[in-house]
Amino acid sequence: MAQIVPPMPVLDIARGIASLDEDIPRVLAFLGKTAIEELGWQRPNKSSLIVPIHGTLNGVTESYVLRLGFAAYRKWPPSAQFVNPGTLVYAHPVDQHHLPIVTSPECHVHPNYSAANGRTLQLICCSATQEFYDTAHPVEPTLIWSGQNTFYTTVAAIQKAMASFYGGRFAKP
Amino acid sequence: MAIEGTRTNSSSLDEAVEHLKEAEAHLEHAREDEARAEREVKEAIHEIEETSQRDEVDVHVIHVNELEKATFKEKIHATLQQVWDKSYKELKLERKQKDVFQTASAQPKSLMGQLQLTLEQARDRKVIENFHFGIASETGGA
Repeated sequence: MAQIVPPMPVLDIARGIASLDEDIPRVLAFLGKTAIEELGWQRPNKSSLIVPIHGTLNGVTESYVLRLGFAAYRKWPPSAQFVNPGTLVYAHPVDQHHLPIVTSPECHVHPNYSAANGRTLQLICCSATQEFYDTAHPVEPTLIWSGQNTFYTTVAAIQKAMASFYGGRFAKP
Repeated sequence: MAIEGTRTNSSSLDEAVEHLKEAEAHLEHAREDEARAEREVKEAIHEIEETSQRDEVDVHVIHVNELEKATFKEKIHATLQQVWDKSYKELKLERKQKDVFQTASAQPKSLMGQLQLTLEQARDRKVIENFHFGIASETGGA
C-alpha cells in the first residue's frame, strides 16, 4: 500500500492532560488494576507517565524506563522516550546505555536520529509515538494513529517489539 | 357331565390366573429393567458431561489496541490458531490483516510460530504459562 506523510502533531497540553486523565481509568480497568502504582507506573507530573519496560536476551532480563509525554495527546500519540532512571530525562550520548536495542520492522530505537530539519533526537520509530510524526515519517494510511487509540497502544507496541526484537542494551559511551 | 364341566372351567380359570401372575411378574421385571436402563443412560450422560468439562479451560483474551477483553471456555485440545480465531468472535472485533497473537503479560511472547500447538501442548512445552492471551495490531515503523 502507498505510504503518505501525515501532518505534523499540534501541541495542546491542556487537552493532552485531560485526555490522559480520562484514559488512565480506562486502561486500569482494562488491566484489572485500580492504581498505576500496581503496574509499577508513575506520573511525575500531569502530562507525563513513567512505564517500566523489560527486555530478555539469552535468559538475562534488563529493565528500562519509558517516559510518555502527552503534549499532543490523544489526537496524536504520546511522545515516547527511554530515559535515565535516575534523572527521568535522556541526554545523548551520556544516557545512551539506558536505551534498548530494538530493530523490529514496526518499532526501531534510534539513540540519536537526525531529522530532515537538522534536529537530532532519540526516536522510537513507531507510528504509535509522537516523534514518528514529528520527524515526518511516511506510513501506510491504515497505520496512522487514530484518536480512538489510547497510550496503552504505544506501551503495547513497544512491549511487543521488545518481546521479539530485543537485542540488548546500547553500549555505554 | 355337569361336574366335569365345572372342573374344566375351574381349571381354565386357575391357568388364566397363573398366566396373569406370570405376566405381572414379567411386567415388574421389565419395569425394573427400564428403570435400570434409564439410570444407566443418565449416568452415561453425566460421565460425558464431566469428561467434557475436564477437557475445557477458561481462556482469557485481550485486544491491547482496542482495550477489549473476553473470557470463554475452550477445549484443551483446541489449537492456538483456533483460540485466536474464536477470540475475535468473543471480543466482537474484526481481524486486521497484520494482527498478531501473543501471550498477555508485561513481556508478551509472540505465539505466531506455534499456532499449530494445542493449548495442552503449548502449556506442557512451556510455550505458555497460562491461558491468558493478547492480540496486538500492527504499527508502522522503520
